[in-house]
Amino acid sequence: MFRKVLIANRGEIAVRVIRTLREMDIASVAVFSDADRTSMHVRMADEAEWVGSSPSTESYLCIDRILDAARKHGAEAIHPGYGFLSENADFAAACEAAGMVFIGPSAESIRRMGSKTAARQMAIAAGAPVVPGAHEALAGPADARVFARQFGYPLLLKAVAGGGGKGMRRVDSDAELDAAFRDASSEAERFFSNPDLYVEKLIERPRHIEIQLLGDRYGHMVHFGERECSIQRRHQKVMEECPSPLVAARPGMRAAMGEAAIRVALSAGYYNAGTVEFLVDGRGDFYFLEMNTRLQVEHPITELLTGHDLVRLQLEVAAGEKLRLRQEDIAWRGSAMECRIYAEDPYNNFFPSPGKITRLTRPMGPGVRLDGCVYDGWTVPIDYDPLLAKLAVWNGTRESAIARMLRALREYDVAGIHTNIAFFRQILEDEEFRAGRLHTGFVDEFLERRKPVVPPPELESIAALVAAFHSKSNAARAIIAQPPRSRWLDTGRHEALR
Amino acid sequence: MNPIVAVEPGVYSVLVDGRSYEARIEQSDGCVIVLIDGHRFEVEIRDPRRWSRQTGRQGVEGRLNVTAPMPGKIVRLLVAEGDTVEDGQGLLVVEAMKMQNEMKAPKAGRVVSLTAREGATVAAGDVLAAIE
Repeated sequence: MFRKVLIANRGEIAVRVIRTLREMDIASVAVFSDADRTSMHVRMADEAEWVGSSPSTESYLCIDRILDAARKHGAEAIHPGYGFLSENADFAAACEAAGMVFIGPSAESIRRMGSKTAARQMAIAAGAPVVPGAHEALAGPADARVFARQFGYPLLLKAVAGGGGKGMRRVDSDAELDAAFRDASSEAERFFSNPDLYVEKLIERPRHIEIQLLGDRYGHMVHFGERECSIQRRHQKVMEECPSPLVAARPGMRAAMGEAAIRVALSAGYYNAGTVEFLVDGRGDFYFLEMNTRLQVEHPITELLTGHDLVRLQLEVAAGEKLRLRQEDIAWRGSAMECRIYAEDPYNNFFPSPGKITRLTRPMGPGVRLDGCVYDGWTVPIDYDPLLAKLAVWNGTRESAIARMLRALREYDVAGIHTNIAFFRQILEDEEFRAGRLHTGFVDEFLERRKPVVPPPELESIAALVAAFHSKSNAARAIIAQPPRSRWLDTGRHEALR
Repeated sequence: MNPIVAVEPGVYSVLVDGRSYEARIEQSDGCVIVLIDGHRFEVEIRDPRRWSRQTGRQGVEGRLNVTAPMPGKIVRLLVAEGDTVEDGQGLLVVEAMKMQNEMKAPKAGRVVSLTAREGATVAAGDVLAAIE
């Protein structure tokens, strides 16, 4: 096993990896930019090295600087986390060339899975179901029209080099096609410097369900079941759960998805941790979407459900050990869910809200797991993704896991910045969510139908009371400016309470 | 027994009619923000001995400034000075933390000032435009 590992990342995932390294008695090396000198991963690591200024293009994305830091500290292996260089085949190759182990798949596997069209062809060859679509980049709208004649509308135009919903357009008829093609293509050019598009049949109200895989370098691979990631905003996951309510209701579906995922991954010579994403329609038919060649943000819920430490397994297979786990050793117990806590303001169009955390109360107690990187007094930098923490809970059933998540969210309080904590409470109270009727458009529909939250009436007077008490002016009068409606209250109530 | 006790800096435990509440205070200019169980209340403190200082909250009458809610970069202007805008119409796009966000008109009216420039970096609170 390695004696020292460098983490080429920051934030909560760097902290997450350091935790397992410490449990395995492996020394950890953090890297940091100007903005991250006081960040949690630097404080927690055994060693730390500055790698550049705040923009990630001048620090966390600089392959040479990361490798220099690894050499200087004598790290034998590099964990890339997620994001940044984690799915960069050149980085994986550069690590190996520098005599260090890249904790992930081979550069070749990353490259093969990196192109959506190539990955799709591999999936077809491996016998995994795919959404009907053109395998090649389209020459123009005419190609898409031919496709529509065969498979019908609605269809989806997507950027070959794309991701995150950019360069993507829904088309419902021949009449819309030319304009949609032009828009999607120019957006793809803008975001990915590549205007090429491909076309797919659109699955209406699909679920996003993914399979966690882990394999060793000797061709042995197991799956850890599914995670349902249908709760998304702007095509980014915000809440995940496992088991998927849909899969749980269909005997054999998990095994079928798991086997399909393993076939695709092994056909790319894949090893280490990876995730195969599927679109699933209302009937439970699933279609290969893409493979993420790294540890996922939402891996903790799989760990809660199966009892395995995926980072530990990643380290073991990266060190060349054989994976001892057999598929039949993996069992799924209870229900787990995760909320991604972001520094953003749900009352102001989810605008990012960086700044200083003036007070922090963390949820604790039975079945709660918090993977975070924040502390009291830390200033959330403006330079990176505003993910503060992942709150995950486990309980025996989906219903009790929801209750536990609501309880944990009530305990969670971050002062000084805005967070989306209250927003998750609203989703968890929603009837559709509770019934498990999930799809990737769920959040958009929820935002349309949600009613304004009306606080219990007595809270208004409590608030006025506390404000008046706080301002230490007993003669002062306090009014609630908003919400729900301006109303005079005076501290006579204060007197009445004595 | 005291019904209101400061338990931590800025945090009060309140007991009323046998029920227990916890409230946290956030100071903001001109008012006190009280958070109780995820609900947010803006409370204005008025001292009757100083009525003359009473100003009240800014209404929708007159000129309204649009300010940057956080540091970022102006990526696009969607209106020009002198344009007439609807309530909620997009005025400009600010990018921060990898996200593009549209700043919307706080009311219907005319763009009487547009100080934002494409590509410019702005600090939180900078006035970007004014609607009258």
